[in-house]
Amino acid sequence: MKAVGRWLAEHWITIGSPIVLLYVWEWASASGLLRAAFFPRPSTIVDHLRDLAVDGTLWGHAATTLVRIGWSFSLAAILGVAIGLAMGLWRRLREGLDPVFAVIYPIPSVLFLPLVSFLVPPGEIALVVTASVTSFFLIAFTTTHGVRQIDRLVVEAARHYGATGWRLFAAVLLPGALPFIFTGLRLGLGFALIVVVAVEIVSASRGLGALLWLSWQVLKVEDMYATFFVIALLGALLSYGLAALRARLLPWVPDAGDR
Amino acid sequence: MGVAVPAAALILWEICSRLGIVSSRYFPAPTTVAWTLGDRLVAGDLGGDLLVTLTRLAFAFALAAVPAVLLGLLMGIARPVRDLVEPYLAFIFPVPKITLLPFLMIILGVGEPAFVLTGASSAFFQIVISTLAGVQTMDPRLLEVGRNYGAHGPRLFWKVILPAALPAIFTGLRLGLGLALVTLVAVEFIAAKSGLGHLVYRHWQMLSTPEMYAAFALVGGLGLVLTRGLRALQARVLTWQEDIGV
Repeated sequence: MKAVGRWLAEHWITIGSPIVLLYVWEWASASGLLRAAFFPRPSTIVDHLRDLAVDGTLWGHAATTLVRIGWSFSLAAILGVAIGLAMGLWRRLREGLDPVFAVIYPIPSVLFLPLVSFLVPPGEIALVVTASVTSFFLIAFTTTHGVRQIDRLVVEAARHYGATGWRLFAAVLLPGALPFIFTGLRLGLGFALIVVVAVEIVSASRGLGALLWLSWQVLKVEDMYATFFVIALLGALLSYGLAALRARLLPWVPDAGDR
Repeated sequence: MGVAVPAAALILWEICSRLGIVSSRYFPAPTTVAWTLGDRLVAGDLGGDLLVTLTRLAFAFALAAVPAVLLGLLMGIARPVRDLVEPYLAFIFPVPKITLLPFLMIILGVGEPAFVLTGASSAFFQIVISTLAGVQTMDPRLLEVGRNYGAHGPRLFWKVILPAALPAIFTGLRLGLGLALVTLVAVEFIAAKSGLGHLVYRHWQMLSTPEMYAAFALVGGLGLVLTRGLRALQARVLTWQEDIGV
């Protein structure tokens, strides 16, 4: 009880300010100080959120988005870690691919949609492939860096003790690069969410991004806020959940990509 | 070696496209794209739309950078401000900023202010977080040394805290500019009727692929110049500290 009290005393501003804000918003919107057409009352938004959840619309769209994130993240993770490891191990490959990556990486993923839709069947597959592009580069970059930053001395020592080939890789190089790989995966998962939602806004008829965009087009403002809230919740869950997971799995190193 | 792989890929593409191994309708030869790029950059829409995108980017970045650095610094030195702002930062930061576009469009109307502010928002949060991290992760010994030598208040801030946070602020500005470009181009692709992002979209819809690839290449070039250029600038200006940004 005392611990709770101390915790509250320390964090009362952080806890209190969103509550106060929501109350002020509710009051301002109800009294007409804020235009309810743009800023509907939080209580109405909650009602709409509940309606969307009860009739199943929300779950359908959320499930679609989650499945897409799952596919594009898996695609990006497998290719990104594999190519990143290869680039970290072989200098020639790294020097060859670096300039290509440098040009492609800063291009916003949404722009790849036309290109990808020429290459693979348009629709679901094109969407997933497009959404995996940025995550792939991020994961490949951090993995490469992870292999390269391993202390030369450690590798030399392992060689000296007779570790070569697969043993050297599995016992020294991979564990050494693991914290960076994990950082890359965490950032990659965040970007998978961002790009999946963006591509859904552009081209899909299902998914949370599409729900947001359709709600905008028919000016269902409350539904927009409700959808936004769900997307934000998903983002928080993915990024903070993964950070907590890393702290559990790899407690010996600080997160290389921590902001 | 550095240019060998891209050059080989382009030559292979050229040959495949010219010989009809891949459809030149969807994958026009790189020389065709380059010719279109040169031609339309001077006379046609490419130059104009590049300018539009650059102008939006400049406005978005300017709108985001100043308040974001100030807020980040304030959060770093004043605990109550940090407590007050942190929940919103934590809530909004992982959200794709493109989702703010429909909200800004109903509040401000469909037009430049909504587009530019969407781009600005993605830079803003990144810069605040980097700046805050810069103040928070500074070596506490620097603070103590500063205090022991009698620096406090504004002096401590200008002579110790700000220089220590500067590399992180610069990293934030660099990442923020990149994010603003990405978001703006996506906004153009989705909603605007001008700019490089819109060009890619329009030429995709009309299947005028050489123009589409030309606009695509221009976005890539712009991104490369901005990220590489700023990185080089950072290495030059802030030589005393290593850049840790991803």
